[in-house]
Amino acid sequence: MSASTTPAWKEWVFTTDHKRIGVMYLVGSMAAFVVAGLMALLIRVEQSSLGPTIFEDPTVVGDNYNTWLYFHGAAMILAFLIPGLTGFFANYFLPLMIGAADVAFPRINAFSVWLFFVAIILALMGFVIPDTPDIMWTGYPPYSVTTSANTAFYVFTVHLLGFSSILGAVNFLITVIYMRAPGMGWNQLNVFVWTTVAAFVIQLIFIPVLASAVTMLLFDKYLGTHFFDAAAGGDVLLYQNLFWFYSHPAVYVIFLPAMGVLIEVVAGMAKNMVFNYKACVYGGIFGITLLSGEVWVHHLYIAGMPDWIRVGQMVSTLLISVPVGLMVMSLWGTLYRSSITYNTAMLYAAACFFLVLIGGLTGIPLAMVSMTVHLSETSFVHAHFHYIMALFSTFAIFAGVYYWFPKMTGKMANEKIGKLGFLINFAGVNITFWPLFIIGLDGMPRRYWDYEMYPQFEPYHQVALYGAILIAIGMAITILNWIGSAIGGEKASDNPWGAQSLEWTDTVSPPGAGNFKHEIKIAADWTPYNYGK
Amino acid sequence: MKGRLLSAFAGMAAMMSSATGWAQDKLPDPAADWDHLWFEILVDLFVIGGIFAVAAAIMLIKYKAKSPDAVGNGPRLTKVQALAWAFIPATIFMADDFFLAAKGWTLWNTYRTVPENAMEIKVTGSMWNWEFEYPDGTTSTYYPDEATEADKGDGLVVPVGRAVVLRMTSTDVIHSFGMANYRVKEDLMPGRITYIWFNPKEVKNSFVTCTEFCGTNHSRMYAPVKAIAPAKFKEWLKKQADA
Amino acid sequence: MSEAAAGHHEHHWEWSWAPMAVVIGVFLILPLGFSTFFVYENVSLTIALCGIGTPILLAGIAKWVAEGLTVKPLVEGLAGVAIPLFIVSEVFIFLGLFASYWTIRLSAGEMWPPEGTPVFDKSIPLIMTVILVASSITYHVAEVKAEAKDLGSFRNWVMITLVLGFVFLGLTIYEYQHLLHMDFGPSTNSYSTAFYTITGFHASHVLVGLCIFIAVLIPAFKGLENHTFTSSAGVYWHFVDVVWFFVASQLYFW
Ligand code: HEA
Ligand code: HEA
Ligand code: CUA
Ligand SMILES: [Cu+2]
Repeated sequence: MSASTTPAWKEWVFTTDHKRIGVMYLVGSMAAFVVAGLMALLIRVEQSSLGPTIFEDPTVVGDNYNTWLYFHGAAMILAFLIPGLTGFFANYFLPLMIGAADVAFPRINAFSVWLFFVAIILALMGFVIPDTPDIMWTGYPPYSVTTSANTAFYVFTVHLLGFSSILGAVNFLITVIYMRAPGMGWNQLNVFVWTTVAAFVIQLIFIPVLASAVTMLLFDKYLGTHFFDAAAGGDVLLYQNLFWFYSHPAVYVIFLPAMGVLIEVVAGMAKNMVFNYKACVYGGIFGITLLSGEVWVHHLYIAGMPDWIRVGQMVSTLLISVPVGLMVMSLWGTLYRSSITYNTAMLYAAACFFLVLIGGLTGIPLAMVSMTVHLSETSFVHAHFHYIMALFSTFAIFAGVYYWFPKMTGKMANEKIGKLGFLINFAGVNITFWPLFIIGLDGMPRRYWDYEMYPQFEPYHQVALYGAILIAIGMAITILNWIGSAIGGEKASDNPWGAQSLEWTDTVSPPGAGNFKHEIKIAADWTPYNYGK
Repeated sequence: MKGRLLSAFAGMAAMMSSATGWAQDKLPDPAADWDHLWFEILVDLFVIGGIFAVAAAIMLIKYKAKSPDAVGNGPRLTKVQALAWAFIPATIFMADDFFLAAKGWTLWNTYRTVPENAMEIKVTGSMWNWEFEYPDGTTSTYYPDEATEADKGDGLVVPVGRAVVLRMTSTDVIHSFGMANYRVKEDLMPGRITYIWFNPKEVKNSFVTCTEFCGTNHSRMYAPVKAIAPAKFKEWLKKQADA
Repeated sequence: MSEAAAGHHEHHWEWSWAPMAVVIGVFLILPLGFSTFFVYENVSLTIALCGIGTPILLAGIAKWVAEGLTVKPLVEGLAGVAIPLFIVSEVFIFLGLFASYWTIRLSAGEMWPPEGTPVFDKSIPLIMTVILVASSITYHVAEVKAEAKDLGSFRNWVMITLVLGFVFLGLTIYEYQHLLHMDFGPSTNSYSTAFYTITGFHASHVLVGLCIFIAVLIPAFKGLENHTFTSSAGVYWHFVDVVWFFVASQLYFW
């Protein structure tokens, strides 16, 4: 197996190297993003006028719309954001940041990425099989059990991705615990490493519960069991509880690494140390992880839970803003007395400061049970989570990709095209999702392709369509810029930003097999944010 | 902040005393309370968001690099400073959370405490229409796809001035009874009965929409909600019972 | 891989086709096999998919085990801590299932067991418990023998463990058949739902454990034994054993 005798394609396709696996995660998750984004365009077109828009027959529209929306929601969350953040970023940069040659179990790492790939293939097959899945990413029974659509594909997609993530969690937690460079203490880890650790702790504990829930769904539908069948002694709400017991913490699996990436980018481009690191890590990240498991009922506020549970979970949901607030304080403080260079990465990061406020603060009324009895299941919820996921988290990913682009490819990304893409994207997302707040407050329900009862909303949907077209243009520019620059960009030095973290200071661009040129030893006063004084 | 805290406690106290019973003469109006609280929340969030947004904007502009190789010079916090920068903001955030929680809880009690003498209507959801059954056994439905008004049906008709409580269940999958105008919604499930109540205080036409995904015709599962004068309501009920 | 190369991982790109093969095998057998059988009821397609998937899966596993025994990891012994961590997530999947069972059980109140439930023969779970505990002990003995570098006894004790495990599975199948005969199937009522799901899920863990033992045993005949691998398999098996106490006590004796 020496380098000279192995053909290069084998070293790529069968790779067990964490950087190459990271790149595979990036490619896979971006593919999922593009397909799910195209579904979003179809959704927006269909909603842009009253009555059927794309097809004539309302039933055909209804069925197709439901399949698009199912794929859009499931793929964006499960196949784009989570694998993008905990697959790509964690794989590529975590070992570099802690000074390790690879992860603890490279073959299991390859196993994870292949599970992720076949899960995407399975999800895509959903479009071509008879009885395309239409159960939304939440898959609530009894509908998902009684529908003629193929629920099994949904269940197995979740299984494959879940197993992939659980193995990833074990792999990375062990890596961080046992493979840090000699001398690297817990307070010398990058914030991103901490957020990844927290995300994987959440994955390890909560995914199995989701897996059990969808397994019961599968059995109920295809083996005739009665878990969710009220008539036979089952419990209708059981599934929703188990589903959100994972899927709420899952939003922090997205939020935490997105925040981590953002803090790395800001610290690196503003050349400043992270403000109040310990409050951020031990208050913010630990606090979010601990609280994340006690708030799932805020997705069941209108589902008829006992009243006292709704009140208790309202309080704990609101309290999430305390640890989130601590992370926010550190993010903001990192700007204080800094020295900011505005390249494309920093522009995306700067936008995130405002996006996280809009997305996060609109979660507050949703968390209040008495407010949610009106807002729940309306476009207001859409606007909330698109701001925090499709805008904040996605922009954080883009900031990260631009920031580490020279490291990964050895080339500089084209700044002019990058900035143009940013401007179009930023305009597009806000034009698309602001109208949803407004019509949501007026009662526009979710998962409606038609809104005959509310004809006054049509202009808002039209504006949202124009915004979505802008996003599509901006995204195409951005993705083409990456591909183009990776092939023909200007050559990058090993540390073009002058950042202080190990992946910049101690590896070449792009890092070779084995990562580091020499043994890493960490001094007691070293930090990855060693700027200034 | 002190004022906030005080009003939070006041809110809790008010909640506790209100649990003992409503004034008979005046019907509570959750929808109006909702709008009121929404305004307060908006103010609250705009203050918080505004402070953070302005701070970010100022720093993003002010600390633009003066030269390509200038580096930041952020403060190295002492232990006390670090703790203060953690606990003071955390306390403020927490105070705001408890304030909002108390407010939300108070309104929640209004939502869940059905006034006495409320008119009880049974609601049954099924794929994909609504059926309303009045105390005397009269039923009403709505089929949006029928050609004529008469075939469509009247939907939910209620008299103004009296609280209406809906006891709801579903025959097949989960649906949700959402009335944007009355700021209320709750799911309908097979095998369970859930309830909501609302106060139709003025003559008005609005809609109930199904707000839980229930398949192909989910977006066409709606019905008008007509609040009409009590006299007219009697007439309507009689006509409906005869039909 | 030679001794010298093992010390210098950084000089070439590591690769292995085993993980991909295992994934392809799993993909063909589980999602596609299940869907063609239960959703589209196309049995010949199911047979074809499983027929292609199984050899790929086995080849992948064999290659993976072989590499695991010969290639030196970056840091040794980490699998020993990874397995307990993985078991944390296994615990939660069982918790999810038990939570569902408890919910159903408690909301039924006095109406338990629901109509259609026959009287269970309680001696079977007791015998199964004894067998599983015994197998945990025999595997422990095997580990001690391996520690003492007595590969011959090691093999024998692993084989005894395997036999006990298969007897356990056999009893499960016997009991299922017996119950099905009394018209107590997965869809009979809410109790049967939980009963078959949880015992079946546990049995599948027993099966996986036995497969791991086979993967330990085959190389042992060639004189290969990897301490971390052996003890990890043991930790997993003890976990499966402990879970059984919960399964048996909750489902048969509550
Ligand atoms: C990355 C994803 C992400 C993140 C981070 C969040 C974060 C939050 N979300 Fe959101 N949410 C979703 C993704 C996310 N959400 C999705 C996908 C759905 C819909 C699912 C579906 O039904 O399909 C949803 C739905 C949803 C609901 C259910 C609505 C409904 O269907 O009825 C609720 C209700 O409580 C909620 C609340 C919150 C809260 C309180 C936060 C908090 O974590 C936000 C905390 C942040 C801040 C508060 C801002 C920053 C903090 C400060 C500036 C400090 C000071 C602030 C205060 C003191 C208030 N969300
Ligand atoms: C990460 C999460 C994420 C992201 C990024 C997005 C992105 C977008 N989302 Fe969505 N969305 C969800 C998560 C997300 N969404 C979820 C969870 C739901 C709920 C589902 C449910 O109810 O079950 C939802 C639902 C949802 C709805 C609700 C429909 C309904 O309820 O009836 C709508 C409607 O407007 C919408 C729109 C959009 C749009 C316009 C974008 C845009 O930002 C998309 C932009 C992207 C593109 C347009 C792709 C462009 C790329 C190219 C064109 C490149 C091609 C070129 C090359 C290859 C070089 N989304
Ligand atoms: Cu009924 Cu949606
Ligand atoms: Cu949530």
